[in-house]
Amino acid sequence: MKKIINLTIRNIKVYFSDKGMFLTSLITPAILLILYATFLSNVFQSTFVNAMPKGIELSKKLLNGLVKGQLVASLLSVSCITVAFCSNMLMVQDKVNENIKDLMITPTDKKTLVISYFLASFISTLIVNLFALILCLIYIASSGWFMNLMDVLLIVLNVVILTLFGCVLSSIINSFLSTQGQISVVGTIVSSMYGFIAGAYMPMSQFGAGLRKVLLYLPTTYGTALMKNSVMRGPFRELEKIVPGNIVNSLKKSLDIGLLFNGNVVEASTMYLIVLMTIVVLFAVYVLKSIYYKEV
Amino acid sequence: MEKILEITNVSKSFGKVKAVDNISFNVTKGEMLAYLGVNGAGKSTTISMICGTLKGDSGSIKVCGEDIKKNSNYTKNKIGVVFQNSVLDQTLTVYDNLKYRASLYGITGNKFRERFVTLEKMFDLKEIKNQKVKTLSGGQRRRVDIARAIIHNPEFLILDEPTTGLDPNTRKNIWNIIRYLRKNNGMTVFLTTHYMEETTDADFIIIIDKGKIIAKGSPLDLKNKYAKDIIRIYHINEEDVKKLKLPYRKINDGYKIEIENTTLATDLIVENKEIFKDYEITKGKMDDVFLNATGNRIEDVYEENN
Repeated sequence: MKKIINLTIRNIKVYFSDKGMFLTSLITPAILLILYATFLSNVFQSTFVNAMPKGIELSKKLLNGLVKGQLVASLLSVSCITVAFCSNMLMVQDKVNENIKDLMITPTDKKTLVISYFLASFISTLIVNLFALILCLIYIASSGWFMNLMDVLLIVLNVVILTLFGCVLSSIINSFLSTQGQISVVGTIVSSMYGFIAGAYMPMSQFGAGLRKVLLYLPTTYGTALMKNSVMRGPFRELEKIVPGNIVNSLKKSLDIGLLFNGNVVEASTMYLIVLMTIVVLFAVYVLKSIYYKEV
Repeated sequence: MEKILEITNVSKSFGKVKAVDNISFNVTKGEMLAYLGVNGAGKSTTISMICGTLKGDSGSIKVCGEDIKKNSNYTKNKIGVVFQNSVLDQTLTVYDNLKYRASLYGITGNKFRERFVTLEKMFDLKEIKNQKVKTLSGGQRRRVDIARAIIHNPEFLILDEPTTGLDPNTRKNIWNIIRYLRKNNGMTVFLTTHYMEETTDADFIIIIDKGKIIAKGSPLDLKNKYAKDIIRIYHINEEDVKKLKLPYRKINDGYKIEIENTTLATDLIVENKEIFKDYEITKGKMDDVFLNATGNRIEDVYEENN
């Protein structure tokens, strides 16, 4: 256990001592927030305005709450995964720099090594994502705040769960990488694709029926839905006060907050179960791979 | 004598390439073995197998009497390695590097602090302990590499080209440290190097080529077998040298003759006392041994094929 703790601390220190790597991770959510607000804000705004029945006009604050909520939910969903990939690159860097050779000659088993990479990645990613969350909450608080303490705690919980998910996913994928070129390729692919696959950039309702069906089999979809659920709870509570329930429900559906699987509504508890089960299975695969596969 | 390393019929292939081909040798306690070969000869593969980071296809490797496959934790505690390139965390301080590496051997807390004080004195780390590794000079970094390699006080130290790329003064300092470790700690050393003059301290030398051992023995044995003796005769004229009826070369103040071995050299001197008035006789260099050993093998193969 001491070895895992010490290796984890070593990994975190190496990650944070690499100023370039750390600052990139930290700045990425801030840049994403600016990009989202600049390019997606109007699209999201018109979605809400057009969805309102005649005669109902949303207040500026509520409209802001809804739009910012959607932006923030998308950003956090993507950030939890992409930052995890970034921080987890340490395991690849160790192979590139051959530091892994120095770790492998010690009486430390591969299981300990891979668990410490995972834990370090989780802690580093969580720190960056909690920083991103603070930025997001400040952004929402500037105009459009409808959240209570429970909502905020739920968002924190979802950030933790999605960070876990991102770390376990990146751990498996990164464990197959061993060169600088592969690091760049995977980084580019993940950061450009994940938002689309997870329905963060665009709600799934915008996609074709076939693709929608496929995406419903991916746990990433439920992770994003959970984040949207928690971030938009406040604004939707407010919206329900002035708009009929059926309109609110169809709006939720169109934003992937209420997901339907084979015509049945997927409850939040089921979504948590799917994501948590996926984390457990992927983690087991990751650790077992380290034992039976020759590379770390 | 206690055997620290026992390698028996070990082979390792990567696809169709035989990196290590049925090698066997032992290293006894306190001995220094020089393990030589050109790049790609199989040196690093052998080291990786000894360290337990690469599995051999066949044969057995024992470190301090224990099979590395059966009791790898024990054998890993007995081995320290100085890699060809520094493999420490460049962005961490010297102290942190040693601290986290020590923890992987179960050395933590006070035990580590005590060990660090010893190493700090031994390697003169006081001034640099809070410096990041990436800011150190080549010589300082090598000192830290060696300190890291012996952080757990191993019995067997593997030095994989420890002085490559270092200036002569730093190389000398590094060798002083290695000699100190051998003398004061009774450290058994396994050395690979491309600097042949560094092998003169070795008790035993093995030369490998294409995964096979092509020559082995003490430096003297190998010099006798693979290098010619050199006689330098001073202050004589060329006519006298010609009388010896041997190939010669002009050098400053005299002539140089290469002769098969010391016995023949002695006979030559006794038979030509009038010529040998001011002379010196030296053994061939390890460079000659290395080149001739490898060359002989190539010639053998050539003859076999023709």
